[in-house]
Amino acid sequence: MTTQPLIVLEGITKHYRMGDEIVQALRGIDLQINPNEYVAIMGPSGSGKSTLMNILGCLDWPTSGRYVLDGVDVSQLDDAALAAIRNRKIGFVFQTFNLLPRATALKNVELPLIYAGVPPQQRRQRAIAALESVGLGDRLRHKPPELSGGQRQRVAIARALVTEPSLILADEPTGNLDSKTGEEIMQLFERIWREGNTVLLVTHEDDIARHARRIIRIRDGRVESDHINPTPHVVEPIEQQQ
Amino acid sequence: MKRWATEYVEVLQSAVESLRANPLRSLLTSLGVMIGVAFVSLMGWALRSLDAAWEATLSSLGSDMLYVDKWNWAGGGNWRLLMNRKNITIDQAEEVARRLQSADMVYISADSWGRTIVHADQRASGVVIEGTMAIFGMLPSTNVAEGRFFTEMEERNATAVAVIGDGIRSTLFGNRSPIGQVIRIEGRPFRIVGVMEKRGTLFTDFLDRMVYIPLPAFFGLYGRYSRSMTIAAKAQSPDQLDALRDELTGIMRAVRKLAPNAENDFSINEAQVFRDQVANIRAVIWGVGIGLTALSFLVGVIGITNVMFVAVVERTKEIGIRRAVGARRSSILVQFLCEAMMLCVAGAVVGVIVCSALVAVLALALRESAAFLLPLLPAEIVLVAVVISIAVGIIAGFVPALRAARLDPVEALRYEA
Ligand SMILES: Nc1ncnc2c1ncn2[C@@H]1O[C@H](COP(=O)(O)OP(=O)(O)O)[C@@H](O)[C@H]1O
Ligand SMILES: [Mg+2]
Repeated sequence: MTTQPLIVLEGITKHYRMGDEIVQALRGIDLQINPNEYVAIMGPSGSGKSTLMNILGCLDWPTSGRYVLDGVDVSQLDDAALAAIRNRKIGFVFQTFNLLPRATALKNVELPLIYAGVPPQQRRQRAIAALESVGLGDRLRHKPPELSGGQRQRVAIARALVTEPSLILADEPTGNLDSKTGEEIMQLFERIWREGNTVLLVTHEDDIARHARRIIRIRDGRVESDHINPTPHVVEPIEQQQ
Repeated sequence: MKRWATEYVEVLQSAVESLRANPLRSLLTSLGVMIGVAFVSLMGWALRSLDAAWEATLSSLGSDMLYVDKWNWAGGGNWRLLMNRKNITIDQAEEVARRLQSADMVYISADSWGRTIVHADQRASGVVIEGTMAIFGMLPSTNVAEGRFFTEMEERNATAVAVIGDGIRSTLFGNRSPIGQVIRIEGRPFRIVGVMEKRGTLFTDFLDRMVYIPLPAFFGLYGRYSRSMTIAAKAQSPDQLDALRDELTGIMRAVRKLAPNAENDFSINEAQVFRDQVANIRAVIWGVGIGLTALSFLVGVIGITNVMFVAVVERTKEIGIRRAVGARRSSILVQFLCEAMMLCVAGAVVGVIVCSALVAVLALALRESAAFLLPLLPAEIVLVAVVISIAVGIIAGFVPALRAARLDPVEALRYEA
């Protein structure tokens, strides 16, 4: 069985103009990622990880190069088309959670479905199911300020999963959590990956990257190394709560 | 189609939520719109009330009636010149009435202003005693609320009977029925046979303070030649008014023996003379109302634009989050436009409620002196006010909403307050 790659990057560059200076954040990235891979993108601060993640997440356009996602060349799409792709194909998990502070957990998870035009009844059911799958079935009506850091990140993960996207993109997902809570979140990613999702982590911590099955190292906007993780740190996923 | 509907229902809900999250700020922000809507509503209400007063004036004086009088009712012309006019005598008036061909109906009346009348130990002053004919009681604009008008027989016999205005009834009799009671006019007893319907308006408030007695009885009180007569003529239809005016003018000039080049020494009055007054009041209401309304809405637009700019900055992160999970630029634009609109509509609703209460209280408090005031805001005025406030919201919210929609999602996500 030949599978089509989920992501194909060819010669991706990204330049920022800072006054007279041009910052070359990405200097030509070639990359291929297949469905249901578990990848960590590593690199020191300022190496271009977030820039790459923003392009992969269709939040930004590359300066040059080609990006094919799920068979569609997205490097030339306009804003509305990219919004639709973010909505349907990508689930973001951020370091700072990025939840709407005044909305309940349920409402936060419903948000992508609202922009997908899913009718209210169905929206609610799917959001509840997603929250239950991350163990927050009893926190539907809580607002982010009433939840712990780990719980907030679970809400964010539920929001990423609820649209059943092709790609889960997580930028330093444990960066704001203590190590024990971080480990629990990594268990969750392990399970999500095993359920058939493609997971792409961005991190500068070896402790986090070692969970992934493939590790890509970036330095100065270029791929430095790209290899299969020979000794993945497998955490047994917690059982899904009812 | 459905997709959009789902999204915009949510947009409206979240707009309401963000107003509720900051109720005091929302209230203050929409104050300008509130006041603007109040001015629009009050202006519409005042104009409508004015129209009602004008209608009532037309119907009480009769839009098909001409009144030949020494005085010009509109108050125009030179006072001294009018003073020097000779009275229209009863003989002249009778001559005119006899010669007139094109009128449907003619009657002659005479007034004595500022009289005081007495019933038992009660007195009413500022009364107009009008000697008139029984035929006046048959005009469609003459409505007797209680009892009857005096008859031709009573007129011919100069019977001491009277029909009183509604204002006099309430002054002298309160809630009791005045029919059969006796009032004294110039010390002489008159028996009340009827009470007129309330018919005074903004321009003709004296109508409710009139006492109608047979013309010969009036002559008995004041003499035959002391007062100038009024000749009232009803046209066959309102479009015959000009022909009737021409005929009246011709006959009057002949009866008064005016030289061909002499000016008329009488006035031909009609209800329409109040039209200029109505137009003036209308212009003042419009001018003041439009000015104040425009000013309030301007203040409203500036306030709402500012608050929306602040809101966009405060919620930069939220915008980034929404964009990341799939909101298009247009979704963000619509969201912030809706919020600005909701602010305005909320302001409009408060404005309309406050105004309705004000108008109801005013109409109730002034029901004696200004019965023409409507107790309710006209529905279409309320509709106009709400539509204007929505437009104000769109105008005020557009630039901030555009700024929100144009935010770069990456930048917005990175924003920390
Ligand atoms: N919006 C921007 N404007 C200018 N320079 C930027 C911008 N975003 C990132 N950069 C620069 O690009 C480089 C890569 O940044 P980033 O992708 O955030 O790195 P990382 O996430 O690996 O720390 C850095 O030198 C950074 O300063
Ligand atoms: Mg980074």
